[in-house]
Amino acid sequence: MTLLVADSISISFGGVKAVNQVSFAVKQGELFSIMGPNGAGKTTVLNLISRFYDVDEGNLTFEGEDITQVKTHQVATKGIARTFQNTELFEHETVLSNLLIAHQQHKNTGLFSEMFFLPKVKRQELSFRRRAEDIIDLLDLQGYRDQMISSLPFGIRKVTELARALSLEPKLLLLDEPSSGLNPEETEDLSFWIEDIKEELGITIIMVEHDMNLLSQVSDRVLVMADGSELTTGTPEEATSHPDVIKAYLGD
Amino acid sequence: MLFVFKTAYEQDFGLFKHAIQRNCYLVLLVLLVVAPFVLERFYIGELSELFIWCIAGTGLMLLVGYTGLVSLGHAAFMALGAYTNVILNKYGVPFPISIILAAFFSGACGLVIGVAALRMTGIYLAVATLAFAYIVEKFIGQGGSFTGGHRGFRVENFEYFGVYLNDPVVFYIICLITLLVTLWLLGNLLRSPTGRAFVAIRDSEISAQAMGIDLVRYKTLSFALSAGITGMAGALYAYKIGYLYPETFTIFTSIKLLMLVVVGGLGSMHGIVFGAMFISLLPQIIALVRDLLPIWISQRRGLEPFVFGSILIAFLIFEPKGIYGRWVKIRLFFSQFPMYRKSTFKRQKSFLRTERVH
Ligand SMILES: Nc1ncnc2c1ncn2[C@@H]1O[C@H](COP(=O)(O)OP(=O)(O)OP(=O)(O)O)[C@@H](O)[C@H]1O
Ligand SMILES: [Mg+2]
Repeated sequence: MTLLVADSISISFGGVKAVNQVSFAVKQGELFSIMGPNGAGKTTVLNLISRFYDVDEGNLTFEGEDITQVKTHQVATKGIARTFQNTELFEHETVLSNLLIAHQQHKNTGLFSEMFFLPKVKRQELSFRRRAEDIIDLLDLQGYRDQMISSLPFGIRKVTELARALSLEPKLLLLDEPSSGLNPEETEDLSFWIEDIKEELGITIIMVEHDMNLLSQVSDRVLVMADGSELTTGTPEEATSHPDVIKAYLGD
Repeated sequence: MLFVFKTAYEQDFGLFKHAIQRNCYLVLLVLLVVAPFVLERFYIGELSELFIWCIAGTGLMLLVGYTGLVSLGHAAFMALGAYTNVILNKYGVPFPISIILAAFFSGACGLVIGVAALRMTGIYLAVATLAFAYIVEKFIGQGGSFTGGHRGFRVENFEYFGVYLNDPVVFYIICLITLLVTLWLLGNLLRSPTGRAFVAIRDSEISAQAMGIDLVRYKTLSFALSAGITGMAGALYAYKIGYLYPETFTIFTSIKLLMLVVVGGLGSMHGIVFGAMFISLLPQIIALVRDLLPIWISQRRGLEPFVFGSILIAFLIFEPKGIYGRWVKIRLFFSQFPMYRKSTFKRQKSFLRTERVH
């Protein structure tokens, strides 16, 4: 079953065609990667899917529903979560509150019950907390639970952001260069987690990545982009050995 | 050093961090309850006014400190609350009900302004709220007999079972209870999903959206709540001063409120109290210092606003966490002595955060 379809989507900024007629379909349970040189338009594709940018042309379909027009904040509710290339966390909050903010999209309390902190609000807080703890355990963040984001090293921030995205309990997870800024050990951990997320939680993943090792280790299929356009799509081996791709990376 | 052992998740969302903190507040509460019966009239009045500024500050803190939106026109909501309250009284609505209605009315005005203004951010929002405050002030001035026009009008006093509302002790207790309830409601909100949504918007609008938070909805809500709370403070303030006219609430009042939240410490409930103490004491300090200054400075009319403005800017630059932030540092210094590291509070390099949605 296909989960997400991008049908020749395009966007330009001023004169630059950042994404030009790109099409792909991501199957349920698949790990679909996007690679390409700097400025190829990979992040822009994720921004289009998560509705931070409006597509100029083309359509996006998620679970058979057209999401080309939905509001940015509704994307999370539909089941799409994302991380950001340089992390974008709630800086003045603890790791735990960052996760709770994600969990609360399933809230069913109103303003007045919250103002009086009625028992049902308390019960809800407990259930958010339990679910947050599950994710903290999954990604080994126990030691950082009560620390402020602004005091954390970059690697932990990256993991926290992954944890926060998982806290949305998404069907589709968009990862923008999850390994950038991580050291080799952290990257190794990351590759295991990504496999766990895919295999055990059954979450479909679209991942933008530069690290070839990680890419070929975990990806089912790879889309290669250059200058906003698709070069090729295929298994990691097919994609990396494609003559156009080699040319794009080595330059002409 | 104090270590708090946690054995249940409930401990993390209690209103107090630990039992010692709770007991300190209990002691403070007892002192505040006893105070009006031992203090002189003058100090009881001063404390009541302090509580009113705390309530107004709570409203603005919610908006500025917890949602990250700046308003330069919050005096307008105090004015709306004060006038609504007094006008309702004139038409026979009795005191406790009129205050609640006044809070709802300024909240509703906040909602309308919010819907219009919150499409803007940063400086544009600040200017829009400033313009709004100006309009409200002019509007009240032109209101004829309904608002008392430029000459204003007296605030009615109330009598229930032989006790008068303007009796210092009675009024003190009313202000204290209102303040405690307001702080309790805000505290509850901040440990619930809505409060976390506000804070999320403050820290990163981009991420907040990615977490499914509807920016327009929550910003408008925060604006309305903030306006309602500040309006309630205005309603109480009307009884405190006993006479209302348009210049009771001016841009200077708005700046004072902004100063309260910035100097007290953005994003902290303790900061509200510190900030309110600061803005209440500052005029008295200025008055004391004024006598020591040469005549050509001390007789200048703008001295007080000038001092207020300069301190506001100084805090924004040198002590962005406010008085409460400084207190936290001092406390940590003593609790970790001699192991305190100066770098603990240094801002970490915020790793390559870009304006673009990378
Ligand atoms: N908001 C924007 N405004 C203007 N130009 C933009 C914007 N977002 C992206 N671009 C442009 O679109 C092109 C693609 O950018 P994008 O960030 O998608 O590249 P990328 O493939 O993610 O590169 P990198 O590997 O460096 O992250 C670039 O030329 C970039 O300058
Ligand atoms: Mg990118």
